[in-house]
Amino acid sequence: MKHSSSTAALGIIANPASGRDIRRLTSRALVFPTVEKVNMIERLLGAFAATGVQRVLMMPDLVGIAAGLLRAVEGRRGQGEAAWPEVEFLDMPLTDSALDTQRAVERMRAAGVAAIVVLGGDGTHRIVAGACGETPLATLSSGTNNAFPDLREATLTGLAAGLFAAGAVTPDEALVRNKRLRLQVGEREELALVEVCVTHLEHVGARAVWDPSSIAEVYAAFAEPDAIGLSSIVAGVSPVGRRQPQGAWVHCGGEGHGMLAPIAPGLVVPVPISASGLLQPDQPVALRSLRGSVALDGEREIELDGRQTATLTLELDGPLSLDVPATLDAAIRRGALHHPAMGRP
Amino acid sequence: MTKALTRDDLLKAYRTMRTIREFEERLHTDFATGEIPGFVHLYAGEEASATGVCMNLTAEDHIASTHRGHGHCIAKGVDPVGMMAEIWGRKTGTCKGKGGSMHIADLSVGMLGANGIVGGGGPLVCGTALAAKLRGQPYVSVCFFGDGASNQGTIFEAMNLASVWNLPVIFLAENNGYAEATSSKFSVACDNIADRASAFGMPGITVDGFDFFAVYEAAGAAIERARKGGGPSLVEVKLSRYYGHFEGDQQTYRAPGEVQNIRDTKDCLLQFARRVTANGQISQAELDAIDAEVKALIDGSVAKAKSDPKPSEADLLTDVYVSY
Repeated sequence: MKHSSSTAALGIIANPASGRDIRRLTSRALVFPTVEKVNMIERLLGAFAATGVQRVLMMPDLVGIAAGLLRAVEGRRGQGEAAWPEVEFLDMPLTDSALDTQRAVERMRAAGVAAIVVLGGDGTHRIVAGACGETPLATLSSGTNNAFPDLREATLTGLAAGLFAAGAVTPDEALVRNKRLRLQVGEREELALVEVCVTHLEHVGARAVWDPSSIAEVYAAFAEPDAIGLSSIVAGVSPVGRRQPQGAWVHCGGEGHGMLAPIAPGLVVPVPISASGLLQPDQPVALRSLRGSVALDGEREIELDGRQTATLTLELDGPLSLDVPATLDAAIRRGALHHPAMGRP
Repeated sequence: MTKALTRDDLLKAYRTMRTIREFEERLHTDFATGEIPGFVHLYAGEEASATGVCMNLTAEDHIASTHRGHGHCIAKGVDPVGMMAEIWGRKTGTCKGKGGSMHIADLSVGMLGANGIVGGGGPLVCGTALAAKLRGQPYVSVCFFGDGASNQGTIFEAMNLASVWNLPVIFLAENNGYAEATSSKFSVACDNIADRASAFGMPGITVDGFDFFAVYEAAGAAIERARKGGGPSLVEVKLSRYYGHFEGDQQTYRAPGEVQNIRDTKDCLLQFARRVTANGQISQAELDAIDAEVKALIDGSVAKAKSDPKPSEADLLTDVYVSY
């Protein structure tokens, strides 16, 4: 393909905390070590370089992903290996919390990156989606109960993101619009990309939800039968696709009929369902007021004291994401992967 | 599923954390007078870890502690009055004044001992866990260790043994970021200690050590798993110590304001109090009453320790050897 000096920069967000929560104990979720996150980023950089990306903005962190990448970047110097894009580590204060992700995304957006590659789970993507505006996301799963991000080899996501940044495909070909859920609890407003789950658990605690008897209600922006996590409870009653302009909900408990749901890796459990229905866009619904907590995309975030009013709205204008198969397909049809030094087949 | 916390549980958790804090703050003050023999390593700041873990344990479960052991002792049920006397080197102490801060042990509550050997607890809990397993008892053993000990061979050997024999052990890594004066960023190759679990065929998780509720649930899941025969696991608790490695450590290796910032924003007692009062489970007056009771307890323990007798020459050779 042609390498253009005007190829836009790309951003990389790798959540240092993903893939390490309590679900390794309560289910058989995979452990996602820091070293493998660094490896994934190195594979991204190789693909970026092949598509002409010259500059990458990287979120720093306190647990060694950025440090590991820096060692890898410096280790390549003078080794005669193919050049990687210049990696610029964002100069920003670190809190070792979700705030770091939010800040990094805001800076990448201000710097005009073509897209942000996100390594994390549903929870990470939720934070990124709250700050990215119209900057598209290239999603990569490195978490646990992942319904939103792609479970894909990073090289291919890197290739698609690089081709998009280079202008080898159009936004219409490469990007898809996602739904989101907007939750209002008192004065507090939060977003979710997959589902909002109201639980009977009084404290945020270890964040994950793994006991079916603790689940009161689940509201899903999409609920696909082949997705792992809490949205699978909704999918078992009223499946809703990612591109369908509705969402769906279930109330759990009581004497309702039971159904089996894969709510976490290795955890297929019966969940009693008492009611279900569809969510229509831009029509707020009230959550049952109870003492408990609300999980956003699988992680308990908000404690409820039974006095707050909480409403939830499905919105169709959520974040843009890169459709990797469609991008690669369009790029190949256009000949964008032909190497300039070799003849055409 | 971890047992839901009752109101009494919440009051107990707060009392335990406050007792540890008061005990350590008082030692910080008193050690500076030069009257206390030996070294003390204070646990202030890390209270949610010991408390969150030990509230899932019974007296029949065992723990092995570290040189920073006061919090583990109190959370496991060792009498703070006896501990204070022990630290002051008095005959009325938990170990008759012969052990001091780094060797407080009380087998009657399942406390195998603080330990001056970094990483020394791993092999000990493999022993108690093996005993429970061979006897068919549902008891678990917890090895508390730090980021420094995470690099010790004893910990790796113990993790391997626990995994090979499927022992009911929880390796509880309290990662406070510093091994003495060395930042774990320089000395722990994989940054997250939990990542090492997979090498020994066990699950490893990371949890916020400033949040009692998070530690309680995470440790509860690990302990329940071990009790049911699920084998060992590694729980990494990320937290911070408020004082130096030992009392007298000037902490020149820490950034200015680092500790104060944590005290102001993450402190486990502040977080706990804010959350249980905000949702109406506990009133501020109840918490204040516990604060006053705990202060009186610790004041009393210091006054008693100061006036209690020291071991005599005749005590020198007693308790040295034990016949089994």
